Amino acid sequence: MPAGAAVAAATEVVAVAIEPSDEFDQVGWMEEKELTPVEKGYLFVLIWMDKRFRIVDYLEQLETMYYRINLQMPKSHTEQYNLDNKFWYWYPLYALGSFSAIAYLVAALSGALLGFYYSPSTAAGACNVSNASVAYCTIAGIMTDVNFGFMLRSIHFWSAQVMTAAVFLHMLRVYFTGAYKEPRELNWLIGVVLISLTMGFGYTGYLLPWDQLSFWAGQIGLEMALSIPLAGEWVAQLMFGGFRLTQSTLQRMYILHVFLLPFIVTALIAIHIAIVWVQGIAEPH
Amino acid sequence: MSEDNEPRTDGSGTGIVPPDDETPSWRERKERRQGLARLTYEYFERARYEDQTLREDSSYVERDVLGFPAWPHETIRNLALTSFLVGMLIILAATMPRHIEPAADSSTTPAIILPDWYLYWSFGLLKLEALNPELSILGGQKLMQDRTYGVLANLVVVGAIAIVPFLNKGSARRPVEEPLWAAVGVFGAVFAFTISAYSVNNLIPVERNLLLDLTFLLPVVCGIIAYAVLKAMREGYMFELNRRYYRLRPPR
Ligand code: HEM
Repeated sequence: MPAGAAVAAATEVVAVAIEPSDEFDQVGWMEEKELTPVEKGYLFVLIWMDKRFRIVDYLEQLETMYYRINLQMPKSHTEQYNLDNKFWYWYPLYALGSFSAIAYLVAALSGALLGFYYSPSTAAGACNVSNASVAYCTIAGIMTDVNFGFMLRSIHFWSAQVMTAAVFLHMLRVYFTGAYKEPRELNWLIGVVLISLTMGFGYTGYLLPWDQLSFWAGQIGLEMALSIPLAGEWVAQLMFGGFRLTQSTLQRMYILHVFLLPFIVTALIAIHIAIVWVQGIAEPH
Repeated sequence: MSEDNEPRTDGSGTGIVPPDDETPSWRERKERRQGLARLTYEYFERARYEDQTLREDSSYVERDVLGFPAWPHETIRNLALTSFLVGMLIILAATMPRHIEPAADSSTTPAIILPDWYLYWSFGLLKLEALNPELSILGGQKLMQDRTYGVLANLVVVGAIAIVPFLNKGSARRPVEEPLWAAVGVFGAVFAFTISAYSVNNLIPVERNLLLDLTFLLPVVCGIIAYAVLKAMREGYMFELNRRYYRLRPPR
């Protein structure tokens, strides 16, 4: 029994303690104190959990982290050399990265809600519109039948637009403040991947309503894929599910848009921002 | 543990054996390793030493990151901005809702085929067939298909952006410090606009060849202007900068 053994070692008592020592009778200790029911309940749960998981250790670690985050605030370069005037002037541009991330969140939330009503099928005859596919009809349904559906779709659309614009401007701000230099090269590369994937997000989403715009934008994309040297046909088959726009095209675009890209982009944004956290934001001098 | 300090095998005692002198420490274990592991260990020791030295020399309060902290400076400000952004999104969505086009129809090609605006640049690069090099040896035949050329142009653009940090090094940050790189940036940004405009040339009331010329001329002109302006600003600027900054952080 660990507690008994520890006591034995600590107090140099020779015999192995059979009864738990008073010192470790935590519940007894609790009962001696005058506590409010809330305190008592809390302590009881804490002791119960701690006996099983030794959460004390983790709490300690958390506490240390908390203080590291809060107390280790460096006097920044900006403060130290009194560059605030130069800095604050350009400050709004430093919000663009966060704007991208926030717009991404809004798009993710509204997109998840849209996903409840949308169905990626090119089958005909789901509504009374000529040539309309099921996909088209579900979008039309979102706009006309679902409460706030039109608004929801518009919010999704605009958050995507704003995200793309913000990402592009964010890249320009990083470029013109020289923020990509050592030690931030890797974050620049991750950024290049992110902006490409962001446009991929936009493109795949553009195809989902399966209206005239979608269809012919899909056609361009398919032709672009086909004209990639060497790998063209393979890419077309992988991404567009063949050499013509069909059900498999729409289905692949859908999976890319709502499954694959969200995973990859979310992970990359997390890494991107974690790196910014670790390195601090490059300051203008 | 019992009084004779012997570990017990009968299930009594803690089973925890204190490290004796023979047990190698973490450090010793790392030191004894061979090859790559050994190299890694040696490098880490050096890096740790470098950090320690830097920290000791530093006049900073705590850590040695040349940046301002993402938390809380950045985060708190961003949270405030979040509410504005979300408000803006809602207003945009409410005032300019997204409509839907007629349903997809493979038998009628619409007059205007467009991707979303942020892909115009890529779309524009696809339309550069006029610049696809021809070889007189091949009897004026093009080296590759126009479309292939366009797709490769896309890769070139993305690749060029990706290698920027490996071309432009040093500790300069402001555009005035490096007018040439600022000019390159202005060229790029303006080119993104002009090539986008060129991609929708059928919607723009400018003659196509003229538009193509402008697509490449405007960015160059803007780049040159940016270069000239920054060069002119540099003189006055650099004096202040040198005094305030380079003395504190000498360029490598
Ligand atoms: C999904 C897209 C992106 C998101 C959500 C994002 C997010 C962020 C955030 C929140 C920051 C903190 C500083 C700031 O807000 O300005 C940042 C910094 C940075 N970003 Fe991005 N970013 C994205 C795309 C890009 C792109 C396209 C590039 C460049 C090709 C890039 C390169 C960088 C670099 C180098 C930094 C460090 C800048 C500094 O330390 O001053 N990011 N990013």
